[in-house]
Amino acid sequence: MLRADPGSFRDPASHVVFDGQRVLRLLDERGLAAWHALAKTDFHRRATADGRLIPAELLEQPPGGAIAALEHPRVPFVSYPFEWTFSMLRDAALLQLDLLAEALAEGITIKDATPFNIQFIEGRPVFIDIGSFEEYQSGEPWIGYRQFTRQFLFPLMLRSWAGIPFQPWLRGDMEGPTAADMRHILSLGKRLRPAALMHVSLQARMEQRLSGAAIRKELATAGFSDQLILANVRKLKKLVTGLTWAHDTHGWVEYESYRHVSRDREAKADFLRKALATHRPQRVLDLGANDAYFSEVAHQSGTVAIAVDGDEPVLDAVYRRGSRVCLVISDLNNPSPAQGWAGAERPGLAERADPDLVVAYGLIHHLIYTASIPPARVLAWLAGFGCPVLIEFVAPDDEMVAKLTANKVDDELHRGRTRAEFEELVDPLFDVVAGERLGEGSRYLYSLVPH
Amino acid sequence: MIFGYLDAGSGSLILQAILGGAAGILVAFKAWRARLMGKRAGAEATTETDAPATSES
Repeated sequence: MLRADPGSFRDPASHVVFDGQRVLRLLDERGLAAWHALAKTDFHRRATADGRLIPAELLEQPPGGAIAALEHPRVPFVSYPFEWTFSMLRDAALLQLDLLAEALAEGITIKDATPFNIQFIEGRPVFIDIGSFEEYQSGEPWIGYRQFTRQFLFPLMLRSWAGIPFQPWLRGDMEGPTAADMRHILSLGKRLRPAALMHVSLQARMEQRLSGAAIRKELATAGFSDQLILANVRKLKKLVTGLTWAHDTHGWVEYESYRHVSRDREAKADFLRKALATHRPQRVLDLGANDAYFSEVAHQSGTVAIAVDGDEPVLDAVYRRGSRVCLVISDLNNPSPAQGWAGAERPGLAERADPDLVVAYGLIHHLIYTASIPPARVLAWLAGFGCPVLIEFVAPDDEMVAKLTANKVDDELHRGRTRAEFEELVDPLFDVVAGERLGEGSRYLYSLVPH
Repeated sequence: MIFGYLDAGSGSLILQAILGGAAGILVAFKAWRARLMGKRAGAEATTETDAPATSES
């Protein structure tokens, strides 16, 4: 029984289906011709061998009445650009440009340019949409240029040049900001930079003047060539490489400096290792992962570890140090929802994560005291994952809780904050497998399994 | 074939020629001129075919 990938349907030549755990790409005649053109290139062999392209194998007997089908390895965890850090999106942009330049050198083009075609596997960007490659026809422009600017270049410019995080924009509008949007956002000084004059101001103006006009034949007749695309790609690569984000690592440094972090770290890691040995999970979801230390512990045990945190500077530093865990920026008070076509094209974070073990260290007191989520609702949400959960409970006399409640009075806080109240709330939802106090402090670990 | 499922944006397409450098600017100019001439020829053809209809009404 084949199950359609809800996010793969826009290209009629190629779409992905699942056959149990197998990932298959069904091709029509055009898709098959494009595959044959790609598969014979040295570029395809090289980029697959060095891990930049997802491997693909043509099946001898395609399923479901398809003309042809490719089989891909399964991507361990699918994340979306609005969950990536600045450096992740920039590396994805550079991969997109590199692949296009190398493919064009052998007569192949990439017909779109969206970060949704790139996934991070073992800490590296990998291009997963083999159906995007097709034979380059002489005189054709780069069809994906506008999409590249909207979904890669402008979001990076937003952060680098205007100090605005791109994730909320991409989550709100997955097509990304238009050139006209960027013209309104960038200051005059930034708009006068040569790259902005071209990619932002001139593109916005020409889009306005030529809206809906057929220009393809005229360009081909006038002598457009792949050399012009390559020149553009070279300049874009230089531009993207030069986009930086000088974020401060205040959160990171502050976190490292908390006494309880270094004091409790190894005890919490041991508690996790015991749970890993007991439950043998395939996927661990580390909520409020901060510097992803515990995700790394889970990853080292051979599981897929998904580190979720709302702190972009910290996760960006984790990415840049070469971590191989899956990184997701998401505010757990408002995690990524299901969205896109029919509200199903891009599933929500919980559905994609589908964990066998949830780690909630150093998290729930932030949800309870900062986001004002009642403890009962926090526990119901964690039970909803339907798998074992490790929770760090922080009693009201903890130094961090004192900091979080410095400007609150007791009447403004929900029931369930004391350890006794908390355990009362746990009881109807979970069996307590193990519990321990961290040192002599006010923090406790619970290993819970939902009833 | 190239205009598959993605709307490439006409303005963005002709801009690419300009972004390609000096040789591209000439290509963009030629394409732009060809489009203008095509539009003018189209307009004249429309006017000619429209004329009898107008006189008949």
